[in-house]
Amino acid sequence: MDGNKDKYSDTVKNLPNPGLGLGLRSKHFNYILEHNPAVDWFEVISENFMDSGGRPRHVLRQIAEKYPVVMHGVSLSIGSTDPLNWEYLTKLKNLAHEVKPIWISDHLCWTGVNSLNTHDLLPVILNEESLKHICNRINQIQDFLERPVVFENPSTYLTFKQSTIAEWDFLRYMSEETGCGLLLDVNNVYVSAFNNDFDPVHYIHQLPHDRIVQMHIAGHQHCGTHIIDTHDRNVVNDVWNLFNLAWQLTGGVATLLEWDSNIPDFEAYHAELLKAKQYMSGLAGINDIAEKLPDEEAAVSNPVDFLVSDILG
Amino acid sequence: MDETNFSLTQLQNWMQGMLIQHVPVSTELVEVSQVVNASKRLSAVKHLDIYRQSYIARLRACMQNQFGALAYALGNELFELFADQYLDANPSGSYTLNTLGQKFPAFLEQTRPDAGEEEKETWPDFMIELAGFEYALSEIFDEQAIENNTTPTNDAPDELLKLTPVFHLFHHRFPICNYYLEFSQGKEPDLPFPEESFCAVTRRACKLGLFNIRGAQYYFLLNMQQGSTVEEAKGELVKTFNFSRTELDKVWIDWRRNFIASGFFCLKEADKFGK
Ligand SMILES: [Fe+2]
Repeated sequence: MDGNKDKYSDTVKNLPNPGLGLGLRSKHFNYILEHNPAVDWFEVISENFMDSGGRPRHVLRQIAEKYPVVMHGVSLSIGSTDPLNWEYLTKLKNLAHEVKPIWISDHLCWTGVNSLNTHDLLPVILNEESLKHICNRINQIQDFLERPVVFENPSTYLTFKQSTIAEWDFLRYMSEETGCGLLLDVNNVYVSAFNNDFDPVHYIHQLPHDRIVQMHIAGHQHCGTHIIDTHDRNVVNDVWNLFNLAWQLTGGVATLLEWDSNIPDFEAYHAELLKAKQYMSGLAGINDIAEKLPDEEAAVSNPVDFLVSDILG
Repeated sequence: MDETNFSLTQLQNWMQGMLIQHVPVSTELVEVSQVVNASKRLSAVKHLDIYRQSYIARLRACMQNQFGALAYALGNELFELFADQYLDANPSGSYTLNTLGQKFPAFLEQTRPDAGEEEKETWPDFMIELAGFEYALSEIFDEQAIENNTTPTNDAPDELLKLTPVFHLFHHRFPICNYYLEFSQGKEPDLPFPEESFCAVTRRACKLGLFNIRGAQYYFLLNMQQGSTVEEAKGELVKTFNFSRTELDKVWIDWRRNFIASGFFCLKEADKFGK
């Protein structure tokens, strides 16, 4: 069953580093088409395009001709105990056939059971049983898609009593057992670490760095007792510093700034991404680690960018 | 405090139940603290609450996005109440959020506040029509279609005119299209009185166009949608509404120009006519 893991593993190790990328958001469609901004690559939310026969798909086709694209999904639900959703996987494969992404990613999570979808990235139990279950599903999916899949550490807001494996080890075993790649979301490490009392620096040190093909950075909302991964503001210094550490440990990989609500205009979004350059050497990132004050408003975590708006464009 | 030994399936069912049910039922009398760890700052229950609150807030926001005009018409408080009830009764079963509101218009119809009463109020009718229209627009926006058709010039013969690939007609008991347009232009329309209305929705170059049309135009275009040629559709109008043919031919000149300008028509391929 895992006969292809070495092949996938080799593919993962040879994936290119396209540089600094941005999420493709409907708000920016016109700007990108008109200005062809000098962004290295774009990440698209697969679910927002796979059923579209209208503008989103049309725009994506044009953008994929000009820029490298990564397909990032939120509904693979790799950890779910439901059977795999072959209709979904077929659509994912078809979209990949059209868009030719440099890789396809999703999250280490489950989104629902009994054919329901909570549209949230829910935490998996980290133990032997779920590791086996998840690796088995990754094998099937990779064989179906005929390519390795890249998995991201999600933001978590709880841990289970039944978990026996540290998340960094779980991700390592996953990649060893299946040949899959890893997407290190540095902000998610920071958020999960604060919420669940672990050390984010230790987490990043423990990961298998040669399996990491991409990083995410993003802004979050500090609620005092916990942090919510909102993707709605600038990246905090502590996260930039973790990024700097991860950059050194991985030797530098494709990096993407996520922004899903209160999305600024394209230039401001791009400018925030380009700050990453300051943290891509060994020199930056030692200074200014300040205790952040809680932010005010109510927060909703934001794993999904939905494209229902601006119908009349 | 005992640890509960759930199987993976049991644990996921338990956690999902805690999120999607308004009042979570803990059939197995499992305490959250037996499943979830407390941390330095939060109890086990508070940890789980983050997911519970995010679940409903996220889907509510999505509904608000999909039914912006309806949310305005109902007011946020009432909209939220309906949306929450709907989500409670119809949790999402799709990998995409695009279809989250699919059954919302039908749900509003079934649960209308005057459902049991003889004397019906009119405002629920308006809300139900508006919800159906908004959902239809979101479907038309993403409808599969090839849009590389040629727009006819004003001198194109009638025989070469056909409806553009993405073309939908609506017949409402309220001025729904007007209301929607005013709302989307940032105006603050008042709740309208009942008034029969007709509109056409097109998509050209991936953009939606909404057009108020007259009743006779609606029936004319409906005939064309069902496969009639211009000539046949005119014939139907004369027959059904007792129109004078001469009068119709006169107004047709204006209709035609407006329909072409609004992008209702595209050209049939010439080779089908043996040229
Ligand atoms: Fe991420």
